[in-house]
Formats: sequence, C-alpha cells, structure tokens
Amino acid sequence: MKQVILTLATLAVLGLVGAAAVVGLGLYNVSARVGHLPGVSWVLHTTFRNSVDLRAERPERMPDLADPALIALGAKHYETACLPCHAEPGRERTATMAALVPEPPHIDEAVGDWTPAELHWIVYNGVKMSGMPHWPAERREEEVWSVVAYLEAVQQGIEPQAQQALTADPQVEGPEHAAWCASCHGGVERHVPRLDILTETQIAEALEEYRSGARPSGIMQQAASIPTEAELKELAAWFGDRQPRGAGSGGGGAAERGAVLAQRGTEEVPACTACHGPGATEPNPHFPSLAGQDRAYLATQLRLWRDGTRHGSALMTKAARALEDDQIAELAAWFASLPPQKGTGAPAAAEE
Amino acid sequence: MPPAPCHRLSPPARALRALPLLLICAACEGRQSALDPAGEDAAVLLTLFTVMLIGAVILWLAMNGMFYGFTRVHRSQISKTTANSIVIGGGILLPTLLIGALLGWGLSILPDHQKPGDGLRIRVIGEQWWWRVEYWPEGADTPVISANEIRLPAGQRTEFTLTSDRVIHSFWIPALGGKMDMFPGRETTLSLKPEKPGVYRGQCAELCGASHAWMAFEAVVMPPGEFDAWLEQEAAGAQPAEGTEEGRDIFFREGCAACHTIRGTQAQGQVGPDLTHVGSRHSLGAGRLGVTMEEFAAFVTHTEDLKPEVRMPAYDHLSEDERAALAAYLKGLE
Repeated sequence: MKQVILTLATLAVLGLVGAAAVVGLGLYNVSARVGHLPGVSWVLHTTFRNSVDLRAERPERMPDLADPALIALGAKHYETACLPCHAEPGRERTATMAALVPEPPHIDEAVGDWTPAELHWIVYNGVKMSGMPHWPAERREEEVWSVVAYLEAVQQGIEPQAQQALTADPQVEGPEHAAWCASCHGGVERHVPRLDILTETQIAEALEEYRSGARPSGIMQQAASIPTEAELKELAAWFGDRQPRGAGSGGGGAAERGAVLAQRGTEEVPACTACHGPGATEPNPHFPSLAGQDRAYLATQLRLWRDGTRHGSALMTKAARALEDDQIAELAAWFASLPPQKGTGAPAAAEE
Repeated sequence: MPPAPCHRLSPPARALRALPLLLICAACEGRQSALDPAGEDAAVLLTLFTVMLIGAVILWLAMNGMFYGFTRVHRSQISKTTANSIVIGGGILLPTLLIGALLGWGLSILPDHQKPGDGLRIRVIGEQWWWRVEYWPEGADTPVISANEIRLPAGQRTEFTLTSDRVIHSFWIPALGGKMDMFPGRETTLSLKPEKPGVYRGQCAELCGASHAWMAFEAVVMPPGEFDAWLEQEAAGAQPAEGTEEGRDIFFREGCAACHTIRGTQAQGQVGPDLTHVGSRHSLGAGRLGVTMEEFAAFVTHTEDLKPEVRMPAYDHLSEDERAALAAYLKGLE
C-alpha cells in the first residue's frame, strides 16, 4: 500500500514538473500555422455543440423573427460587428480571416441548423477560446433577437440583392458616418429611436453614454465606438438640426388607453407628459420629446428602466418601476401615434 | 429666572436626570396622548383605562397583602375549607367575574367607535408613507381632495372610511379616540367626535416599512363654522401667492406635476400628495417637518434622507436660488 502511494506521488510530482516546463520554458508551439494535434479540433467543436445544446433554453418572450425591420436592424449590426470574421452571403471571407485558428465559419455555414434559441445563446454568450466574442452589453438579451432574425433569414437563404438592400446606406448629405447612422435611424417602425425629434444635446449625451458603456446596448456601444469623439459631436449636431417630418402612426385602442395613462398617470404611475410633453407647461430641454417616437424602441426602453437595466436618471427609475407590461405597450402605442415634435412644449402649429 | 440646580452637570447627565420626568410628562399632556382626551371617544377609553388601572392596583395590593398576611402575620394553620374557598373564590370566581365584566364593558364600547356620523365622511388611504385624504360632505358627489392633515368640526361625529395602498397601516389620533387598522383591498370604519378645538397629532400605529416612524399627520379640530369655511376654501383651486411665478415655473420645468396635483393648474399627477393648499398645512411630508420656507427647501432637496425609501426623488441638483423660489411657491399655496 505504502509503495502504491509513493509511486502515485512520484508520478504526480513528475507530471507537475513536466507541466511547469511546458508553460515556463515555452515548449508548446502556439503557432496557428501548425494547427491543433489530430483529434483536438473534434473534441473542442463537439464540446462547443453539446454545451450550447445543454444551455440554450427556449425564452419566455421572443419577438416575431420574420419582422423585416428586425431583420434589417440585425443585418446592419452584423455588418459592423460580425462581418469582418464571418463575411456576408454572396461574398468570401478575407484571406486573413480564413487563416484564423479556429477558422471562423462563413455565415452560410455558421448559421447551420441551429434553432433561434441556440443562435441567441451563441451570439449573447460568445464562445470561449474560439475568438467568438460575447455581446458587449450586460442584460440586453432582447437586443440580440435582431441579429438572430437576420441569421434566420440567412438560414432560409437570402438573395444577394436582398442582402444589398438590407445593408445599403441611404443618400444623405451630412458629415462622415451620417448616412450610416441614418440607415437605421432614418425612419419609423425600425425598432430604433428616430433622431429628428431629439436635440443636439440629447443625442450627444446618449452617444457619450454608449461610448463609455454607461448606457448598455450591444448595438449602440458598437456603433458609437466606430466614429471618433469629434465625429460623434458633429453627428449629434447634424442630427439635432433635422426637423421632424411625417405623421404619427395613428390611433387605436391601445393608444387611447395610453393617452389617459400618459397624461393623467395613476396612483402608481406619474404622468409622462408632465416632463416629456407634448404640452408640458414649462418645457425642459433635458427631457426628450417622445411624440412620434418609435413604438418598439419606447417599449423596450420603458422595460429597461423598470427592470433596472437602464439607469442614470433617478426620475425615470422611480417613474417606471410600477409599470405593467400592458401599460408599457399602451404608452408606447400612444406616443408613437402622435405627430412627431421636437421639444416637449405645446405642439407646433401644423405646417402645410 | 434662577438657573436650574442641575446646571453644573454635564449635558448628558442632565438629560439623563430629566429623562424619567420627561417620560412621565410626555405621556399625560400633549398633542398625541390618550391620557389627555379631546373628544368623546377618547374620554370613554380613558375611563376604561382608569378603571382598569385602579382595579389592577387594588388587586395587586390585595394579592400581595394576602401573601404577606399568610406568610408573615397570620402564620397558624388555616382550615382546608377556608383555603379551598379562598382559592375557588379568589382564584376562579373573582377573576372570571371581573374579566367577564370588563369584557362586556369593552365590547359594549366597541360599536360606539363605529357609530354613524353626523354627515361628514372622511376617506383616508394609507400610502407608503403618507395619507391620502378625501372629504365627503353629506350628499357630495365628488370629494374634496387633500393630504397629510385631517380637519374635523368640533362637537360633530365624523365617520372615517379607512383603507390602504399595499401594506397594512393603522390610523390613530390618541387624543381623539381609538385606533383602526387600514388594509389593502378592504375598508374599515371608525368614527370620532372631537370636543375641544385644537391641533392634535395622529400617527401610523402599524409597522409599514422604512419610513413608518415618519408617517404622522396633524388633526385639527375646528369650531363647526370655521370648519365649513375652511372646507370651502380647501375645495377651491390653488391661489398662488404674488411674486412666486419663478417657483411655479421650476415646479413645472422639473416635472413635479407628473406626481402632484395642484388644482387650478395643469398639475394632475396622482402618485404623491395633492399640493393645492400645501402652504396652509401644519406639517410637511406627513408630519416630517414644519412648514417654514427652509423646511420646504430641505424636503425637496433631501427627500430620501428625511424619509428613507420614499418614492419622491431628491431634487438636489437645484441651486440655492431655485430651491428658495420653489419653496416660496409651495409655501404660497394656501
């Protein structure tokens, strides 16, 4: 017995010395050119697949993944964040990316036969030791569905023309990156805020918060990290200068209930319009106008305030804390139904 | 006036010496004492309390007297019959009769505290941690809304309908009557007939959260004529004082109107107390502070320090001048 223990101890010590030599003396060749030993890639990949299978659960709330606006948003984010490694449908990966170890699969191959829940898990969590990053923001799981919607579209086969239409920038005469910003923020019903009702200060503050990570969003933190600080300021000034155009999305039952809630509040919910207008008695440039704002964006932001994911305003944290899900939907519907308006005061006279 | 003899003591020692005296005095005189009744119901309760206290003292003396007598004075053997009759009479029959009588008396008092009122009904909703108050004069279709202060006509019985927002509170004005719990989703009633005009203090008497101790209010008993005039004034819209426009603009610019109503203005929020006549109240923040300009400014700036976990955010970003202007506007809402 004593001999067995002694032998095992000796082997353990030898093993430790060997491991220390590999790490300490650099005996292991890390060259990507050499690649993995036979079988290692299989072990790693199988571990990855099984790990995702085990952990990806069907979520409670999943948006409509066939929503074209959601697909477009995902495609646009994919273009800046994922395309450098995985390329896009109809195009090859760059030669450099193909030389990565492990090699990032081309998107056509990467989407594979994963379910939406599994794709969501992979995009949100990333994959250790593979170079696949996790979603840069905390507690923004719902944002990831836009990318999943796009990946689903790719899985079902996307025409190169459709792909081009998804990611093309509009014709905009503005500063550097303005057209790129406007490709998502240029209209309504896009799941992102319209900027023409916001002021330069409000846009600049939001960009600063995204850039510093104070306001979590995987999509906007990525977007705000691309232009330089000076360029962001120019963009804020230019977008802050746009005048709102178009009409609101119109009424409806939910909007009518939202109108009462927004203007009167309840014993639990403060009246939104006292700060955000329209018709605030003393307009406050600090409070953003919500009239005509994107419905899905408003609903998401109200949920983030209520759940404590978005913070930075004690007022909004306290204001949103008692909101029910259906109240959030009603408020978003009402504000979206209003004619767009810059500023929180009385609505401007309708222009011909 | 010559200095008190304890002036040589250190301040803590002086406070310590004064403590028993303070405790005794605080209990028998004051705005929040059941021992200094100012109404019919409190007087009945005081009688009940006094009778019980005197009875208890007599019983205590009798018990200890017997104990002393049998062990120290009358030490000879007592007969079994005497012992049995003492135990059965004094230990079973007497307490049963006494407690039965007290219970009967106590139960007979209970319905009196829910007697129908003489017309005015006040609905009070316990919030965390303040009081939503609605005055329903006889035959009224809509209530007069107020908060954090209750005014009552002297010599009349007023009926209270009590309920609560989300936790159990208890409504108690010791100088005017008994207390009554307030339950979420259920209404309880209490009626009070105050006699002596004056300002009394009510307090939440059920632990209801972080700021339970700061959930109080003033109960103002007024001669009936004055009360009617006051209620009429309370029902009217706000009359801001002259020269407080700057404060009004700050009130609206900062979004205070999202939570507070000031009738006669666009402020229609319902989350917090109605402020239409906040300047005429006796206290601020449900008995938390007085109503000087400084206290208005302090409450707005240090809200969460003054009332832990309160729903109102602190507006500490306001400048000194802005605080003063806002305080002047609120104070001017009489």
